[in-house]
Amino acid sequence: MRKPSPIIGLIFWSLVSVLTLFPIYWLFVISVKPAVQLFSTPELILSDPYWGNYAKVWGDRLLRSYMLNSVIISTGNAVICTVLGFFACYALSRFNMSGKESIFFWTITNRMAPPAVFLLPLFLLMTQVYTVGEWKLLDTRIGMILVYCTFNLPFAIWTLRPTVDGIPKELDEAAYVDGASSWQVITQIVFPLCRPGLAVTLILTWVFAWNEYLLAATLTNFNARTLTTGLSEYVTTTGTAWGVMATISVFTLIPALIVFGLVQKHIVAGLTFGAVKG
Amino acid sequence: MSDHPEEPLISALLEEKDAPKTNDTPNGFLPIETNWFDRLFLSVVIWIALSLFWFRFIEPLGLSIWIANASAAALAFIIIKKG
Amino acid sequence: MQSKRLGWILLAPTLVILFFFGVLPFIYVVYVSFHSWNPFAVNPDMVFNGADNFRKIVFDSAFLNSVGVTVMFVFFAVLSELIIGYFLAQAFMRDFPGKAIFRTIHTLPLIMAPIIVGSVWKLMTTPSIGIIPHYLDEWFGISMNIGTSAPAAFATIVIMDIWHWTPLVTLTLIAALVSLPQDPFEQAQIDGAGKRQIFWHITLPMIAPAVVATVFIRLMDALRTVDEVWMLTGGGPGSATRFVGVHIFKEVFPKTNYGYGSTISVIVLYLTIVSCWLLYVTMLAPRNKKD
Repeated sequence: MRKPSPIIGLIFWSLVSVLTLFPIYWLFVISVKPAVQLFSTPELILSDPYWGNYAKVWGDRLLRSYMLNSVIISTGNAVICTVLGFFACYALSRFNMSGKESIFFWTITNRMAPPAVFLLPLFLLMTQVYTVGEWKLLDTRIGMILVYCTFNLPFAIWTLRPTVDGIPKELDEAAYVDGASSWQVITQIVFPLCRPGLAVTLILTWVFAWNEYLLAATLTNFNARTLTTGLSEYVTTTGTAWGVMATISVFTLIPALIVFGLVQKHIVAGLTFGAVKG
Repeated sequence: MSDHPEEPLISALLEEKDAPKTNDTPNGFLPIETNWFDRLFLSVVIWIALSLFWFRFIEPLGLSIWIANASAAALAFIIIKKG
Repeated sequence: MQSKRLGWILLAPTLVILFFFGVLPFIYVVYVSFHSWNPFAVNPDMVFNGADNFRKIVFDSAFLNSVGVTVMFVFFAVLSELIIGYFLAQAFMRDFPGKAIFRTIHTLPLIMAPIIVGSVWKLMTTPSIGIIPHYLDEWFGISMNIGTSAPAAFATIVIMDIWHWTPLVTLTLIAALVSLPQDPFEQAQIDGAGKRQIFWHITLPMIAPAVVATVFIRLMDALRTVDEVWMLTGGGPGSATRFVGVHIFKEVFPKTNYGYGSTISVIVLYLTIVSCWLLYVTMLAPRNKKD
């Protein structure tokens, strides 16, 4: 093939990058503008930032509790999914159970179902069936942690399977010969060896849970509301709180950006379920 | 699975299809190779589609939905037996 | 090896959680879809009414419209993403300084929450504060108002989806292109094949598996797009961007018509499964047979 000058590639990709980054930059610009300036001529260059929106969002007790909920739910869900996914992968990898490939495939299909379809049945089950006396699973943090397992647990199993399969069985057997119990083999031999894969899984499941909106919006009212639902509340109530909305968006975006820096190489593989390596 | 580390999703899907090939009848009338579960699935899909179509266009003319159900059941029988 | 019982014990928590939050809701929604049930109506009980809900849904123009809008959205969005993604991937195959950095920047939208993407684009396109309508008006005299113009709202959502998901297509296609062997291309050039011929007869068949997998994944995601649309337009104006997911979200809960809402959910699930299955069968299976 012809070899055009590298400068063209550089210019072309700079343009693409500007298009990619501009919306995010604009979000930041809006978040540091006082409300009165929003409706004047848009300025592309940021001058004289105004941090009032950040103070407002950080000072809002309701939003802080939403943030706390988001952190608790995402972390709880990521830990549960990673640990249970690891156990499941170990079982699928080391035991000759009948129909295990079907089970494996079935777990994956759980993630493919559109969440909108499950909104109503989950809402009904959590208000009417999954209850203990007066206590309902609806609008609880534990409820949201379990609901998020429907898409994160299959993902964890999917990404951890190759890692666990890659640990040689001879290591297990050697440990058994030395008199270790099954539990010791799993926690002290296999688990530490899988650490890199577990870390990536933990981080990606965390961010998926953090980013989720639809289920949280439907299955929580007040106690377990997350930051993403808080964002939508600001949109429906007013046309004036644009700065606050942008600021909440920035707050929601920051963890994702950190995560992006940490596991950038694994993101595509994670989003495509590893169907295509990134 | 370990043969296709670069395409786990596809290979999983293919494995689902590949597995029954060896012990199932490969020469049905369907254009693709299927196992009994695929054919059952196809029958249910056709049954629902036919029923919805019937509700929309034929039932208003006065023909009962049971005709659709009966024909879907017959079709399902044929598909599962011979597909 | 060890007893299979331990294997089942390790697998049990996963299966239990997925049963209660994946399988049971599915069975339940199918069950409720055959009932009429509105807890806040005159008769709040669940009453079996056969297939009446399904009889009603095929004449429900609001629902049918939402299906049509969704199909249109999926078609335009996925097709544009494939074309743009392919060209970007080809542009990436050449050497130029700073490749890794550009690739990283290009990946950035993928990790963003859909709801944040919606909010970002809302800030850019809302009339009076948005930068896009402002400059469209100032430079070209075009007035763009996603609050009142249905085509503008629909186009904005397609563009937003392209912005959000084209990087995924690009990166998967880069992976496919990188792994291609060079020999067929050199041979074709010696034989004097044109660029177009090389694309249709060599490149496309060779990257077809990656393309199919990408379409498969994008289709599933596009069919369940709710968050960003909900944020950006709320399904409006009118019902121009009311995708099936948005329709469920907006229609079922405020009206508390749970029986009929379940029917809508069942039909949406049915359509999703059938379309994914059809795609899989028509595109993957014949190729599989040839091998």
